[in-house]
Amino acid sequence: MKNSSVSAQIEFKNVTKMYGTVAAVENLSLSVRRGEFLTILGPSGSGKTTALMLLAGFVAPTEGDILIAGKSVAAVPSYRRDQGIVFQSYALFPHLTVRRNLEFPLEMRGINAAERAARVDRMLERVHLKDYGGRMPSQLSGGQQQRVALARALIADPPVLLLDEPLGALDRNLREQMQGELKSLHREFGKTAICVTHDQEEALTLSDRIVVMRAGQIEQVDTPEALYDRPSTRFVANFLGEANILDNPGFKIESDAAQPAGTVAMIRPERICVAAPAAPKRADGNQRQSVTGTVEDMIYAGSLRKYHVRVGSSMLIVREHVASEQRTFRRGDEVRLEWLRSDIRFVIA
Amino acid sequence: METLQKTGRKPITRAVPASAMGRIRPVETLQKLRRMPILLSVPAFAILLAVYAIPIVELFLASLDAPSFSLAHYREFFAEGANITVLFQTIEISAVATAICVIIGYPTAYLIVAASKRLRIVLIVLVFIPWLTNGLVRTYAWVVILGDRGLLNNLMLELGLISSPLHLVYNRMAVYIGMVHIMLPAMILPLLSVMLGIDKSLVAAARSMGARPFVAFWRVFLPLSLPGLRSGLLLTFIFCLGFYITPATLGGLNDAMLSTFIVSQVEAVGSVASVAVPSFVLLAVTIVVLSVLGLDLSGNQGREGQPAQTSFRPSWLLSFGPLIRYLSELAASHRAKRWTAERYKAGGNSRRSAKTVGGVWVALAIFFLLFPGFVVMIMSFSDKPYLEFPPSGLSLQWYRSFFNDPSWIGAFWTSVQLGIWVAVLSTIVGTLAAYGLSRTHPRVRRPLTMVILSPITFPSIVVGVSVYQGLFALGMIGTQSGIILAHTVGAIGSVFIIVSATLANFDRRLEQAAQSMRAGPLRTFMRVTLPLIRPGVIGGAVFAFLHSFDELVITSLISVFSIRTLPLKMWEDIRNQIDPTIAAVGSMLTVLPVLWLIVLYVGWWRSRLTAQSGVSVPTT
Ligand SMILES: Nc1ncnc2c1ncn2[C@@H]1O[C@H](COP(=O)(O)OP(=O)(O)OP(=O)(O)O)[C@@H](O)[C@H]1O
Ligand SMILES: [Mg+2]
Repeated sequence: MKNSSVSAQIEFKNVTKMYGTVAAVENLSLSVRRGEFLTILGPSGSGKTTALMLLAGFVAPTEGDILIAGKSVAAVPSYRRDQGIVFQSYALFPHLTVRRNLEFPLEMRGINAAERAARVDRMLERVHLKDYGGRMPSQLSGGQQQRVALARALIADPPVLLLDEPLGALDRNLREQMQGELKSLHREFGKTAICVTHDQEEALTLSDRIVVMRAGQIEQVDTPEALYDRPSTRFVANFLGEANILDNPGFKIESDAAQPAGTVAMIRPERICVAAPAAPKRADGNQRQSVTGTVEDMIYAGSLRKYHVRVGSSMLIVREHVASEQRTFRRGDEVRLEWLRSDIRFVIA
Repeated sequence: METLQKTGRKPITRAVPASAMGRIRPVETLQKLRRMPILLSVPAFAILLAVYAIPIVELFLASLDAPSFSLAHYREFFAEGANITVLFQTIEISAVATAICVIIGYPTAYLIVAASKRLRIVLIVLVFIPWLTNGLVRTYAWVVILGDRGLLNNLMLELGLISSPLHLVYNRMAVYIGMVHIMLPAMILPLLSVMLGIDKSLVAAARSMGARPFVAFWRVFLPLSLPGLRSGLLLTFIFCLGFYITPATLGGLNDAMLSTFIVSQVEAVGSVASVAVPSFVLLAVTIVVLSVLGLDLSGNQGREGQPAQTSFRPSWLLSFGPLIRYLSELAASHRAKRWTAERYKAGGNSRRSAKTVGGVWVALAIFFLLFPGFVVMIMSFSDKPYLEFPPSGLSLQWYRSFFNDPSWIGAFWTSVQLGIWVAVLSTIVGTLAAYGLSRTHPRVRRPLTMVILSPITFPSIVVGVSVYQGLFALGMIGTQSGIILAHTVGAIGSVFIIVSATLANFDRRLEQAAQSMRAGPLRTFMRVTLPLIRPGVIGGAVFAFLHSFDELVITSLISVFSIRTLPLKMWEDIRNQIDPTIAAVGSMLTVLPVLWLIVLYVGWWRSRLTAQSGVSVPTT
C-alpha cells in the first residue's frame, strides 16, 4: 500500500474487544493525527496492549471499526498493514544477526540485496551500532537490543510506528537516555507513533498527546501539560503525578470559580507553599488561601522536600524545592500553608 | 527456569479476518489455516484414525458382541482360572519391576542432579545411551550374562564357587533383571527432568531455617520432585504391563504375561474376540493405573505455572519437555540465569562418607545400565559358534557372517528404509499437528493430545492388535507401506511430544514481529518459527526413526513373515539360538546411540551456539 504514506491518520471508531464476558477495550473512539506521538497510559489491565494489538491486526475487534488512512482495515491481515512495531521485549529474531534482523522487513518488501545493505548500514549508523551488525541479539546489552528493535521497526519506512512499553525493560538511567533518542528519532523520521506505557514520566516526556485508559475505556485525552494541569477526573489526577484531593478537608475551600456539582477540589503538592506561622504574608496574599497545620512527616529527596501536613481532618502533601535560605520544618512543627486560589482544580469525583 | 515466564502469559494472538481483497487461492487457504490452526492436525488424525483409532473401537465393539452387546466373551475370559493367573502375574511382575526401578532410580537421579555440572552432563548422557539402544539387544545381553555358559556361571566356576552351572536364566529373577535394565532410564529421565528444575536455593533456604539435611529433603525436595516420580512410575509401570520380548526371552513358562497370551491368541488365529478381550482387559488395567496415578498428588504444579492436572491426561508424557529444554540449553549455560542456583547444590556440604556412598551408588547404577552392552561387544569377537563368555579366542567371523549373509543385510536395509520413511512421514505430520494444536484452545487441545499420545501410552501389544485390525481392513497386512503406517502411528507421538515441548518455549511475539514486517503466514513459519523449533524437529525425527528401527511387537504381528526387519531377524535368531552373529549386530546397535547423540548434538547444541538464547529473548 504505497499510498498510505500520504495520509497515516488512524481512527478507532467505537471499538470494543471482548474476551469472554470481559471487555478488554470498550467503545474506544480515538483519532490520531499524522506525525503525532501519542501515548496510551493506564494501569495494568486497562486495555493498552489490547488497543495496540487491535491496531496491529493481531486481535480482531468484537465491534466497531479501525480506519487507517481513511480506510477500514477490518479485512486487512496484520502482514499487510504497513506498520513498524517495537515489542515489549523487542522480539528480535534470536537466530538471526543484527544485520539480518534489520534486513528482514526489507526482504519481505522485495528490496534487492544491494539496497538492503546500504539501508542497513545507514540505519546502524543512525542508532550508533555500526560495529554490531554481525552480532547475535543475545550478545547485545538491553539498551542495544532496544535500539536494534527501533531500527528494525523504522528501516522499512512504515508510516506508523507502534511501541509496546518500548523502554520497560531498561534501567532508569538508560531509560532516560533512550527517551531522548526515541524523541529525536521520531522527530527525524516524522512517523505517526503510538506508544503504550505505564510509566507516567515517560508519557509526559515523549508525547504530543496522552490517552489515559482505565478499565478498557478512555478517561481523558489531552496534551501532557493540559492533562497534568487540568485533569478532568480524580483518577487522572491521581494517576498522573501526586494530587491532594480535598474530599472532606475540614476547612472551607476558597476558589475563583464556583465548584460544579459532582466534583471535588484538587491541588498539586508543588502549588502549595509552606512557611512558619509567624512569617510575613506575601505581596499577593489577597489572591491566596492560607491554612495552618502540623507537620507529621518530612521526606528529604535530594532536590526536593516533601511534607505531610495535617490540616483539620485532612493530610496535605506539600512539595518544595530545596533552596539555600529555606527553613526546614520537623515533625510536630506548626506551619502555615498557602496557595493561589486559581490553582484549585475541580475534578469529577 | 524459563518455563516460568512462558506459561503464565496470556495468549495475545487472535484470528484475523481473511482478506476480502480477492487474492490468489493459496493465500486464501493459508488464511483459513491461520484462523483454524487445528486443520494442520488433520493429516496426523487421518493416519491415526484409519490405522489405529477406528479399529480399536471396532475391536472393542466386537469384544462386546455388538450390536447385541453382551459381556459373554469377558465372562468366558474370567471363567478360565489360568487367565486370571496370567492377569495377576502381569500386574505383579510390572509392580515389582517398577518398585525396583524406583528404589534404584530415585537416589540415582537425585545424586546425578547433585553432581557437579560437567559430571552431571556425562551421567545424563550415560543414562541416555541405553535408553536409545535397541531393547532386544539389551535383553539378549542378559542371556549372554546369565546363560548356563554365560559370564556369571563361568566366572563362578572359575573361582570355584560352584561346581556346575546354575540356572540363572529362564526364571522370574532374570525377567526382573531384564525389565529393570530396560526400564530404569525411563524412570530416571523424567525424575531428572523435574529435579533439574527444582530451585536448589529452596533446599538451602530450608536448611537456613534450621531443617536438618534429611528434613529439608523430605519436606522440600521430595514434594517438589513428585511430578517426576509420578511420570517415571506411570511410564515404567505401563510399559511393563505391555512387555512381551523380555519375559518371552528371559522368563520360563511360569512367567508368561498377558501380552504373551495375546500374541499366542493371534498366532492361533482364533476369533476376533479371543484377541480383543485380553487386549481390553490389559487396556482397562492401564487406564485404571493412569487415572489413579494420573491424579494430581502434589497439590498444584505451580512450579511450571500449569493449572493443576486433572485425572486421565497423558500430559505426564510431556514431562520430558523440561529435560529436552535443559539439554538444549546447555550451550547457552554460561549466561543462563539458572546456573546461579548452582551454588546451592542438593548435595551441598554433605559429609565425606555420604559422598562416597553416593558415588558408589551412581557408579553401580551406571555400571548396571552399561555393562551388558560391553558384554555383547566382547561377545561379538568370540571365535566359538555358541554362547560362551568370556570368549576363549577372538575373531571377526561374526561380523563377517553378518556382512556376508544377505538375509542380515537385507533385514538391515529394510529397517533403515522403513525408519527413514517413518521419520519423514511422522516428522512432517507430527510437527504440523503439534504446531496446529499449540494454537488451539486448551479445551480442544487436551483431548486431541490424548488421542495422539495414546499409541505410545497404551501397551504396545494393544496398539499392535488394533493396527493389525486396521491394516487388515485396508488390505495392507504384510506390505511395506502397512508397516510404515503402523510405525508412524507411534512415531507421531514421539515427534509431537518433542516438538510441543519446543513450541511451549517459543515466543509467539516473534511471529507477530515477522508479520508486522509484512511476512505472510507461510514465510513467517519458514523463516522464523521453523528455524527456531528446528532442534525439536530434528530430535523428533531421530526418535521417530528409532521408534521404527527398534519396533518389534507390532511389526511381528503385521509383517506375517513377508517383510523381515532387523529386529524381527534378531528375534528369530535369539529364539532359535543360531549363532553369535546376533552379538555382532547387537554390538553395532549398541554403538549406534553414540551416533544418535552426535546427530542430536549437532542438531541441538550447534543451533544453540549460533542462536544462543534460542527461543526466548533475554531481558538483561
Ligand atoms: N487473550 C486474552 N484472553 C483473555 N483476556 C485477555 C486477553 N488479553 C487481554 N485480556 C484481558 O483484557 C484486559 C486488558 O488487557 P491488556 O493486556 O490490554 O492490559 P494492559 O493495559 O496492556 O496491561 P499491562 O499494563 O499489564 O500490560 C485484562 O483484563 C486482561 O486480563
Ligand atoms: Mg500490556
